[in-house]
Amino acid sequence: MNKTFVEKWKSQVKKGTLTFIALNVLKDNELYGYEFIEKIKKKTEIEIAEGTFYPLMNRLAKEKLVVANWVEQESGIPRKYYTLTEMGENTLEEMQTYWEDLSQSIKKII
Amino acid sequence: MKVSKIKFNEEASRRIYEDYLKRVARSIKSLPKKDQNEVLLEFNSHIYEGLQHNDKVNEIDRLLDVLERLGSPEKTLKPLVADKKLEQATRTFNPLHVVKALALNVGNGISYIIFFMLYLMLFGFIFLIYSEITDPKSTGLFFNGNDFQALGKINPEYLIESTTHEILGNWFIPAMLLSIIVFYFLITILLRVKRKVRSL
Repeated sequence: MNKTFVEKWKSQVKKGTLTFIALNVLKDNELYGYEFIEKIKKKTEIEIAEGTFYPLMNRLAKEKLVVANWVEQESGIPRKYYTLTEMGENTLEEMQTYWEDLSQSIKKII
Repeated sequence: MKVSKIKFNEEASRRIYEDYLKRVARSIKSLPKKDQNEVLLEFNSHIYEGLQHNDKVNEIDRLLDVLERLGSPEKTLKPLVADKKLEQATRTFNPLHVVKALALNVGNGISYIIFFMLYLMLFGFIFLIYSEITDPKSTGLFFNGNDFQALGKINPEYLIESTTHEILGNWFIPAMLLSIIVFYFLITILLRVKRKVRSL
């Protein structure tokens, strides 16, 4: 078995599905950066680097799929909470449909 | 919103933290002020939450854990700075921003290298204007009969021997200026389109 090939493939799959994973984790939630990264890790066992996470959020916000709001905290250090927009929810639904179709097709061949 | 500094009990922790924030600030210097503040706020918040969600007893250990996970600011922030710079460049049409954005994005694919080369060609036109002023005889748009022969500098001796002649005359500099403007807008618009179609 070609181990490095499989490892490379795995990281490509992760990279390709990261947006889908992030949007799914954010569904019905309101999360701030640190909590968001921890939640992705807990739910999917995928360690997403901060250097990947923040640019991703920046792009999702630019595409109007998520919005971010600064919320003051008692500690004096505000949190930036991310939520899905309506467009984000619709986009996620479309992605989910595609994902279902894709996994059905893959199941047929494996 | 202003960045409020995190309070530390130990002086050593405070110094490590301050040093880290300074490095963050340095890494994002080229971004607009608003974006800089946003990044600093977000890093500060991330560090604070990281400290709260760690059970280790020593403050300095907790701080080092969160900073280690964040990685070096220069490296962690590179993709974000490259993205934001590109947004800014395509929004403002400012040549300095465009050059910086292209340089930052060269590693992100062959297309940016092509953009960079197109940009270099712009400087070719600028050079020709300079050349027209200092050496007008051998600079120009040269035709031989009805056929295009060259745009640029040509050996003056060759001009005497052949039927090749310059056709723009005094219009050469305005034509080059126009080319620069058209080229420049074309590159920036292409860059904007490219950024839009880039998948998430």
